[in-house]
Amino acid sequence: MQRSTGLLLVTVLGLAASACGSGGEPATPNASGGAKAVTITVACQPAKSAPKERQAWDDDVATFMKEHPGVTVKSTDQQPCFDPKTFGPKLAGGQMETAFVVPVTNYNDVISKGQALDITQYTGSIKNWNDLRADHKELVTKDGKVFGVPNVHYSVGLVYNRALFTKAGLDPNTPPTTWAEVREAAKKIAALGQGYVGYGEYSGGNTGGWHFTQAIYGRGGDILTPDNKKAAFNSPEGKAVLQNLHDMRWVDNSMGSKLLVGWESLMVAMGSGKVGMMLGAPDVVTDVVNKFKGNVADYGITGFPEAKASLSGGEAFMINPKATPEEAKAALEWIDFRFNTVGKGRFDFARGKSIGNPVGVPDNAVFGDSPTGQAIQADRVKNASLPVTNYESYVQAAGTIPPKAEPLHAQELYAILDVAMSGVLSRKDASVDQLLADAETKANSMLAAKG
Amino acid sequence: MISVGARATTGGKRGRKRSPKPIEVQFRTIVSPHQLNSRWGRRIYWLVLATVLVVFTAAFVFPLYWMVTGALKTPEELAQMPPTLVPADPTPDAFFEAWDLFDIGTLLANTAYYSLGGWIVCMAVDVSAAYALSKLRPMFGNVILGMMLATLMIPAMVILIPLYVTVVDLGLLNNPWALWLPAAANGFNIFLLKRFFDSIPRELIEAAQIDGAGAVRILRSVVLPISRPILGVVSIFTIVTSFKDFVWPLLVMTDSDRMTISVGLSQTAGAVTQNQVMGGLLITSIPMIIVFFIFQRHIMAGLTAGSIKG
Amino acid sequence: MQILRRNLTAYGFLCAALACFTVFAWYPMVREFILSFQKTDLINEPIWVGLDNFKTAFLDPAFGEAWLNTLEFTLLALLCGYAVPFVVALVLNELRHARAYLRFVVYLPVMLPPIVAVLLFRWFYDPGPGLFNQALDFFGLPPLAWLDSSSTALISLVIVSTWMNMGSATLIYLAALQNIPPELYEAAELDGAGIFKRIRHVTIPQTRLILLLMLMLQIVATMQVFIEPYMLTGGGPENSTVTVAYLMFQNAFTLQDYGSAGALGMMLMIVLLVFAAFQLRLTREDKA
Repeated sequence: MQRSTGLLLVTVLGLAASACGSGGEPATPNASGGAKAVTITVACQPAKSAPKERQAWDDDVATFMKEHPGVTVKSTDQQPCFDPKTFGPKLAGGQMETAFVVPVTNYNDVISKGQALDITQYTGSIKNWNDLRADHKELVTKDGKVFGVPNVHYSVGLVYNRALFTKAGLDPNTPPTTWAEVREAAKKIAALGQGYVGYGEYSGGNTGGWHFTQAIYGRGGDILTPDNKKAAFNSPEGKAVLQNLHDMRWVDNSMGSKLLVGWESLMVAMGSGKVGMMLGAPDVVTDVVNKFKGNVADYGITGFPEAKASLSGGEAFMINPKATPEEAKAALEWIDFRFNTVGKGRFDFARGKSIGNPVGVPDNAVFGDSPTGQAIQADRVKNASLPVTNYESYVQAAGTIPPKAEPLHAQELYAILDVAMSGVLSRKDASVDQLLADAETKANSMLAAKG
Repeated sequence: MISVGARATTGGKRGRKRSPKPIEVQFRTIVSPHQLNSRWGRRIYWLVLATVLVVFTAAFVFPLYWMVTGALKTPEELAQMPPTLVPADPTPDAFFEAWDLFDIGTLLANTAYYSLGGWIVCMAVDVSAAYALSKLRPMFGNVILGMMLATLMIPAMVILIPLYVTVVDLGLLNNPWALWLPAAANGFNIFLLKRFFDSIPRELIEAAQIDGAGAVRILRSVVLPISRPILGVVSIFTIVTSFKDFVWPLLVMTDSDRMTISVGLSQTAGAVTQNQVMGGLLITSIPMIIVFFIFQRHIMAGLTAGSIKG
Repeated sequence: MQILRRNLTAYGFLCAALACFTVFAWYPMVREFILSFQKTDLINEPIWVGLDNFKTAFLDPAFGEAWLNTLEFTLLALLCGYAVPFVVALVLNELRHARAYLRFVVYLPVMLPPIVAVLLFRWFYDPGPGLFNQALDFFGLPPLAWLDSSSTALISLVIVSTWMNMGSATLIYLAALQNIPPELYEAAELDGAGIFKRIRHVTIPQTRLILLLMLMLQIVATMQVFIEPYMLTGGGPENSTVTVAYLMFQNAFTLQDYGSAGALGMMLMIVLLVFAAFQLRLTREDKA
């Protein structure tokens, strides 16, 4: 019904426009001769502000098109690649790329709304499909059907600035392993002078709730009860997370005075070289260096302090549900070419090194410990542009800490938990118990409403 | 009806205040000329004038000064506390960096294209509608005008979502018509134009009709030439409004190649240094400031035309 | 015959406008109504859900806060954005010098794209090297948290909003003041009225219509506040700057729940229409 109203409107408008002589843009049908010719659009081209990365991408596109005659690849460079704000509309308006990226937070949403193509029949032709992490493949599978190709997988650790550690008289090779040590280190870094922040944390734009989840998982707590019916974060672990932040902010004064809202805010701060530590995955290091001008040698990452579990993060490629089989096939071939081949595309570490990427950061464990994963790691180490020992402790920890998926209704919960995070970080007199109790009430009524 | 400037331009030529020269009074306001030119009246007057000048400059010019100098400073100097009032070593690097990082060339070209295209569409649609309603007086003309004016009652934020859904249904995302057509549905423009057309004497139209001119001819050679002042006001406001618009282009022009400057800035501002942000803001402001310099009179006149809204 | 021809010509001229209004103004008004009773995600066919969307909107954890914040914002914005421009206009009208400069300067921020004002102030509000705290420090005052505290965030947004919008109100008042016949002041003066009495008995009654109009317009405009919380605070800290318009936007475009956004929109529209009706009645009364 909706569609037909739309059509009617188009007709009315078209008539009116032609009657009044104001010419619209003619729709140019893709007049590609031959049955094999197919055009796909692919998401995630690096932004213009990263010219070298972008060049590498463009080179890959050219090579791919040469190897696959008849396939035309168009790239989009929307940043971030996945924007929940424009996702649904793009799909509805026929603007969605053939292959698009979805972060793990949104898998459930996208799959359950029918916004991704069932690619089960194609998985056989996906290179290295069997070597992709089984637990991550599980996340893109629903009712036995596969809806995506896992592209990035990581678990959370503690990213820290080695240069600041040295400057503050701490040993960058023995980063903190307990929260008490984190607090001590943060204090020393903040004492370096004005503008220095020992420990950076988010408080808004849903990133606050997201990091709260990382922290509470690390401490062994949970966001929801196992049946997903009630909130479970008003617990000793949840209190410890908030209390610790509150004390670092107000007792030690080691967290700076600025609230950080949205993903970029903390990344910029980290890139400026004045923030000592933050929770994050190795991709933080890559991003801080590539996008936020951080000095590559300065950043290290270690295991999550006192970790009992680690929030899984990552992203997958999914295919536009409106794609034709030819388009879907071409898109999967592109994904294979650029993202899943040892030594090619994004895993072309030799090229990465030559254009100044932080090669050596174990920023993607999507192939886990499989043969492919090992081959990639060997290649990475061979071409490393920085001491891989900087990340050794993280790799070891990541191998032993069990991964844990995001809660159901993650975005709604994160919005609720933002309030608690901004509470402890903006008010000295904030009551941790009260904030958690309020958030629990809100979360429970949200869960009840969602059924 | 739409002239403000007439009584308002008394000069700022007085420089000396040694000899108690009387304060020139061209028009009467709350304070009487007599009071104003008394001994205390003059003192208070100069005091108030000085205060207002200082406060206004501090409130409205200084932020812009801070923006310009911010763009000329290095990131290190920007982080300095207390800040430097004048850049120690002014460098225009931030402008060039901002130009590249924000891709301001593309964004400005997009925005100019959308504004001018929107202006043409809007004028074509609204002028002909106002002309029809005013001079051709069709059946149900008043009903139509009433319904057009009724749209002014609906808050913009409320209509945003259904309008967006409509545009998605039509497949107009990332298509400039998604900006132009909704902008052309502007009841207020039609109202202003119609009211002006109403004031054009019948005799002029009738004379043209006797000469055998058709409706299009009359519009082109009688109505439009007379209506230049109102056309100017409506034009400027249409262009300025579309240049400034944020929320709607944020929703419908999402391709990074097709964004407007406001949206482009908002997307990238979080990821670049403060001096680059300021550079970007300054470049964005310049076109509007130039427009303001040139069309100040029209804009201020239009404002009072706008105040009769409702 | 001639009437028919005239009508045909007229509708020929009107057709573009009618099409634009039908598709982009009148139909969305109807659509808004439909939307609020449907579950719409733009992918699947919409389903009728009765009052479910209103229920979802009501149960939203931030629903109450959003309305309170919107009201508070509106009231604060009225104090700053309504009273201040009038006083400023009164003073400007008395000045005989630098009038062109003052009018230019006060309107300058209105010309800037809102995003410029907002990003500029975001930097001013920075608790460290930001201009405001540095200025406070210069005068020996303690720093404020501005956007970073639930007690000052909303007022900080009001300040930005006032800065970038007050120019137009000021100039409109100024124009109204200049239209007051001088004789009225002279007569009042002869009656022995002092300056404040003249303001009360001449200026305000003479500008009453425009004052009322502006009051209503301003209420309607500020109740839709969006860009300030969207760009500056993301609704935080502790939801202290979540407004109804912001919540609507979040529901629609972050959660893809166009239905409950539509329901919120309906509620906002009803509130605003009540104001608009009120405005219409007042202006009618005044004209009569």
